[in-house]
Amino acid sequence: MGNRSGLIQVEKAVKSFAGVRVLDGLGLEVADGETLCILGPSGCGKTTLLRSMHGLLPLDAGRVLIDGAAVERPRRDVAMVFQHFGLFPWKTVAANVSYGLELAGLRDPERRERTRRYIELVGLGGFEKSYPYQLSGGMQQRVGLARALAMEPRVFLMDEPFGSLDAQTRELLQDELLRIWQRVPRTMVFITHSIDEAIALGDRVVVLSPRPASVRDVIQVDIPRPRTVEGVIEHDSFVRLRERCWRQLRSRVA
Amino acid sequence: MSAELTESSPPVAPVARPRRWHLWPRSLREWAVRLASVVVVLAVWQLYAPHVNPIFLRPPSQVVAAFIKLASDGVLLTATLESVHNLLIGFLLALVFGLAIGLASARSWLTYNAVNPWLTALYSTPSVALVPFMSLWLGIGDSAKVAVIALFSVFPILVNTQQGVRYVDPGLLEVARSFNSSERRLWRDVLLPAALPFIFAGIKLAVPRALVGMVLAEFLISVGGGLGSLIIVYQNTFRVDRMFVPVIVVAFMGVVMIGIVQWLESRLAPWARRDR
Repeated sequence: MGNRSGLIQVEKAVKSFAGVRVLDGLGLEVADGETLCILGPSGCGKTTLLRSMHGLLPLDAGRVLIDGAAVERPRRDVAMVFQHFGLFPWKTVAANVSYGLELAGLRDPERRERTRRYIELVGLGGFEKSYPYQLSGGMQQRVGLARALAMEPRVFLMDEPFGSLDAQTRELLQDELLRIWQRVPRTMVFITHSIDEAIALGDRVVVLSPRPASVRDVIQVDIPRPRTVEGVIEHDSFVRLRERCWRQLRSRVA
Repeated sequence: MSAELTESSPPVAPVARPRRWHLWPRSLREWAVRLASVVVVLAVWQLYAPHVNPIFLRPPSQVVAAFIKLASDGVLLTATLESVHNLLIGFLLALVFGLAIGLASARSWLTYNAVNPWLTALYSTPSVALVPFMSLWLGIGDSAKVAVIALFSVFPILVNTQQGVRYVDPGLLEVARSFNSSERRLWRDVLLPAALPFIFAGIKLAVPRALVGMVLAEFLISVGGGLGSLIIVYQNTFRVDRMFVPVIVVAFMGVVMIGIVQWLESRLAPWARRDR
């Protein structure tokens, strides 16, 4: 909390897969309470970075610190939302949402109450007993969101959570996320390859270079909250921010 | 086709001339064809059989009569009970061993590699070839028959269980790790439910194999009765009408067993129903 150097620190992260270097001495910091969007071309190592921030993937060299402690395995105060949703097809919406709470050993009156509250928060009240295959993609990701929210973690790690949704659903869920953030402000690291999404959601945007990923630019998004996607796009700074992100993303080609 | 099109009327013409057949609901149409097929084959059989030496073929009406005769004098019941008894014990053994070895070998490289050469060898060996070993080792009574049934049905269950656990969606494993699942909870929340549809598919494959094993054991292992030996008895006495009776019962047993497995599956794995 009182850390002057940020809640999450990634220091000189190096990672290779089968001889291909994906992260090459990457370093970044996430301040407590901020939303940091990580923007990069597909295949640049964004997801690798996020997974190693969660302790799902060991780094070859360098380290990740959360609150000063090195991350070696997933922590209970960090929750992840997956691009592939990662819902259990054999569990109902309610059982999927309470999955993490169950593993954390939370007992039933509170567990059921928390499950109900977060299902309500993501707008899925009434679907508690549905199975994932009975829901649309957007609704399925709301379940994924509720499952992470229910953990009431300090940090959210979002791995292109809206990447596989259609444009309309995507914008709807971006607005939803902004609304939820307004009520439950938490530190968030959000991976995306959409410039608009990064600007709409982020307090800062980190632009990564193509593989091996390193930080190319860090852009402050000076658009006040509460935000909506539409409001962000209409904001005076938007075009300038978008232009800058574009230039950074493209510059490798030149 | 092209000749028709060039003649005069546009290709939509047939629709304007409705045939009542096409107005029937689809399911009704399908059932009508099924029923007609059965009726036609039975009728041809009934009419053709009198022209053949009765040693080789008798009409279905006489098969029905034989069925009623054997059912009422208790011969059929005795044989069926004896077969079912062996079948259930053998199938249960196959389930226990198939599930246990399948689960135990799924996630450990040690047991997987220890089990799999044997599994590959035995699964690709025709199980029939092993029947003489069973009677050599276990005698010529029920235990050998039970062993044959278990041997015939264990492999699909074992292989499907093992593969069902191994081919779990890696994304779900990642979710479990992300939420700090223990290995025990991983089995409960992820591995077993993921494998369940595979396991049921394996059990459904095992049912007909178990029935083959049952009949074959009763053919080859001479002591005792059962439906298989009933077939041989009536073959030796040239009663082809009675030969059909145990065959019908065996077929019926297969249908009932598959039905039970499917019912269980719809109860235990309702989410998998969408694949059907």
